[in-house]
Amino acid sequence: MITTEASLILDVNQISVYYGQFAAVKEVSFSVKPGEIFGLLGPNGAGKTSTLSAIEGLLQPNAGTITVAGYDVVKQPLQAKANMGVQLQSTSYQPELTITDILRLFAGIYGVKLSAADIAQKLEEIQLQDAAGKKFGQLSGGQQQRISLLISTIHNPVLVLLDEPTTGLDPQSRRQLWERIEAIREQGHGVLLTTHSMEEAEAVCDRIAIIDHGRIIAIDTPERLIDLHRHHPEVIRASRKGKITLEDVFIGLTGRAVRS
Amino acid sequence: MAIQIPATKEVLAALMRADFTTVWRNRRSLRLVLAVPLIILISWKGLVNHLGAFVVLSSVLTIGLTSIGLMGYTNSIARDRDKGVFQRLRVAPVSSWTIMFSRISVQVTLIAVMTLLVFTVGFAVDGIRISALGYLTGFLMTLQAGCLYLGLGQLITGLIKNPETVNSTTRLVYFAFIMVGMFGQFGVLGDVVKKVVIWSPYGVVQKALAGSLQPLSWTMDHTLALAGTLAYTLIFVALGVKYFKWDSK
Repeated sequence: MITTEASLILDVNQISVYYGQFAAVKEVSFSVKPGEIFGLLGPNGAGKTSTLSAIEGLLQPNAGTITVAGYDVVKQPLQAKANMGVQLQSTSYQPELTITDILRLFAGIYGVKLSAADIAQKLEEIQLQDAAGKKFGQLSGGQQQRISLLISTIHNPVLVLLDEPTTGLDPQSRRQLWERIEAIREQGHGVLLTTHSMEEAEAVCDRIAIIDHGRIIAIDTPERLIDLHRHHPEVIRASRKGKITLEDVFIGLTGRAVRS
Repeated sequence: MAIQIPATKEVLAALMRADFTTVWRNRRSLRLVLAVPLIILISWKGLVNHLGAFVVLSSVLTIGLTSIGLMGYTNSIARDRDKGVFQRLRVAPVSSWTIMFSRISVQVTLIAVMTLLVFTVGFAVDGIRISALGYLTGFLMTLQAGCLYLGLGQLITGLIKNPETVNSTTRLVYFAFIMVGMFGQFGVLGDVVKKVVIWSPYGVVQKALAGSLQPLSWTMDHTLALAGTLAYTLIFVALGVKYFKWDSK
């Protein structure tokens, strides 16, 4: 199937996910266009991970449809997965494998031919040329995230799913990762990003959906979300120093109570 | 343009290369798994004439299969599941059976290596001589019996999620199989235990292996033991597949 520029890279249509009687995701719909970074925000337990897991094919939604590059993730899972690159929240690889081994493994899985020179070049691009013979566990958090992002995009996928990619990174590593995510967008690919950092969502996302109690409660650009909700009493109450930020909107819409 | 699914043989080759590399880099564990049956075989040299070459070889091979199935395969699956290695593979265009086929292929190769080492050491150190046909049918039976212990390992990882609990459980089962199985089969622990051991996964495998090493002396007892081996394999594999979860959370 060919994806034209006008078509959607990811289309999530009215999906619901249940764990027994508990509805983790209720009739959620959104889409990601080519060249767009879409942020999915929500407090802990809001339904972000369940939504992402349904898109990744790790769980089957009880209702609704999800298509990636036109492929239904339930009916054509392998085609859909071939068109997406995924960086899980806690990525791990067999601890005995070196970075070169891991790159070869995933290149093989995605049907990409990689010579030793290609691997060296890819590692140089992310300034990790010395890491080729190291094990994943020997790298710092920032280096691990760069490797994970490289692996997620090794096959040049049309959709990249990033689950809290900058958690635990120092400001320099975080900025560097933002630049790499923006570079993916520049190539015309779509990015679906989950994050707890409102600063990150505001800085890199073109559109944002806020999910709470399994439902999407707001969806728009960060600027329009702030404009639309700046007079909401809860948002004003959440604001500090008089300036309304995306975080104030988020707190105002999802409540001040700490989620487990 | 949308990306097409890579060919299964390419995916399988990549997975198997990684899985074989993992086992090779884990040489300490590999040596331990292979050393246990060889140490027992060498130390039983003086018992070959007393117990018979077929009993010695089949007992040692059974212990080797238990080591690979319970100590090697089970713990590696439990560890990788807990670390999220499987989840990372499952979000790629890889079918679940391909991931498991690759893992099992590595174990079957280990079983083949262990069997050849036991035959070689048995020949060179213990002076055990059996027919060429016996070596061939014994080798094939070892591969079949290996599936029983891989299935048991799969079942343990299906029923227990925590990798440390899996580790302690496999050690316990391994110890029980070796101590109760080995001593029980010779009647050291009494007649009741001997009867239980004969029909246990240890006993049926040992008996079927002993029969396969001397195919021209195959009896109804060996047929029953083979049937028991197949039945245990089917039950363990079916339950192992049914209860296995790719994620430990």
